Amino acid sequence: MTEAQQEKPFDPIEAWRGVRDASMDVWAKAMIEAVNSEAYARGSGTMLDVWLTGSAPFREMMEKTMVQALHQLSMPTRQDFLGLAERLTNIEMRLDDLDAKLDAFLQAAQRPATSGKESQ
Amino acid sequence: MAACAVLPDELQRAGERLRRLTRVLTTRAPIAQSPRELVWALNKARLYRYAPVLPPEQRHPVPLILIFAIMNRPSILDLRPGNSFIEFMVNRGYDIFLLDWGCPGLEDKNLGFDDYVLDYMTRAIRKMKSVSGCSEFSMMGWCIGAILATAYAALRPGDGLRNLMLLTAPLDYSNRQGITFSHWTDERYFDVDKVLAAFGNMPAEMIEYGAKALKPVENYIGNYMRLWDNIDDPRVVESWHAMNTWVTDNIPMAGRAFRQLVVDLYRNNRLMEGTWNLRGETVDVSRIRANLLMVIAGADHITPPCQAETLSDRVSSVDKETYRVAGGHIGIMAGSGAAKRTWPHIDGWLGPRSNK
Repeated sequence: MTEAQQEKPFDPIEAWRGVRDASMDVWAKAMIEAVNSEAYARGSGTMLDVWLTGSAPFREMMEKTMVQALHQLSMPTRQDFLGLAERLTNIEMRLDDLDAKLDAFLQAAQRPATSGKESQ
Repeated sequence: MAACAVLPDELQRAGERLRRLTRVLTTRAPIAQSPRELVWALNKARLYRYAPVLPPEQRHPVPLILIFAIMNRPSILDLRPGNSFIEFMVNRGYDIFLLDWGCPGLEDKNLGFDDYVLDYMTRAIRKMKSVSGCSEFSMMGWCIGAILATAYAALRPGDGLRNLMLLTAPLDYSNRQGITFSHWTDERYFDVDKVLAAFGNMPAEMIEYGAKALKPVENYIGNYMRLWDNIDDPRVVESWHAMNTWVTDNIPMAGRAFRQLVVDLYRNNRLMEGTWNLRGETVDVSRIRANLLMVIAGADHITPPCQAETLSDRVSSVDKETYRVAGGHIGIMAGSGAAKRTWPHIDGWLGPRSNK
């Protein structure tokens, strides 16, 4: 044993940390096995299903009420916005295709001019 | 008396630690700092080109497009200065393009893999070719991005794709026992249509829970303990802050794409079975001819190695390599060892294959 090791005082925090890390490792491995089991998959699936089934009537009621209220106020609903967004994306795609064609056209137009200059 | 003098110092240090802890837990670190320009946009998707740092004669002429997952921000590829894959590659003379899928809204719930591959990627790559002036390109897909990249490479093999790199690619779902997500998404326990009927898209919170619950003790407890243990080390704290900023910034996954992932891939393994159909076209991986680099993380809980190991045997590529690296799903590209192992290997493989 070196002198430094002999003189190193006992650190209770460090010892506690070692025990903590070791127990965490054991716990972590056990939990990884647990979440990888059929029982966990079944349990979490059941919980999710119960929650979705239980909350569905409230969600539907909220949505219907909101749509009716917006109609009464002559305001657009979420569906109207979603339809508009889809149409905008379609327009963007058309514009993108036009942009690509324009790029190709400009490149093709530049090529003969450049090669013409080079030949002179 | 001596104890009285020490006490204020200890209190001051404890206060400083608490302040540091509060800061990193409640604020966002500045990430994705590398200079870039927007070159293309469609709906929420954006294509960025990173500013070169080397003179033109020292750069590789073949551009590289990065495709990341559709339910996470791609900022993990450019985490922070000094620890950024994009910065590393730009410094080595690559012309880097990043396809950022953006955050889907309810209006995007009908987007599927077919739309991402055949509408978005096709157009983004067309733009990349146009602005780079190069008809050939390299592509790197990571995680779900690797599924997209594989599908693109198989559906458009003659489109100029020279080099394909797939990182932690979840492609083969045949080993159901070895894939935790396969248990969770089993049709006996998980009603994907009910979830999507309720939310439209797959909520970001559920995706985050799913990723963290694979290693619950490490993600929910160990991660914070590691921060506290190293709270006096600014290097570790800043690194943790940046990573936590990315980890907690999830985005929802478009509903139809999520359904395809669960039904077509996790449950029926259609990609490797050769029966995955995107808009009438069958994704046949044997049509992939590009040079192929598979990067597999040895300790990947999200994409176990068995999901990525089989593709190499199915493709028609002559030049192919599988690189196994120690580390987890994200750690191999953003962890402390990434700059020493994974990035140099990618550079070493891609460099000679990116010249005219």
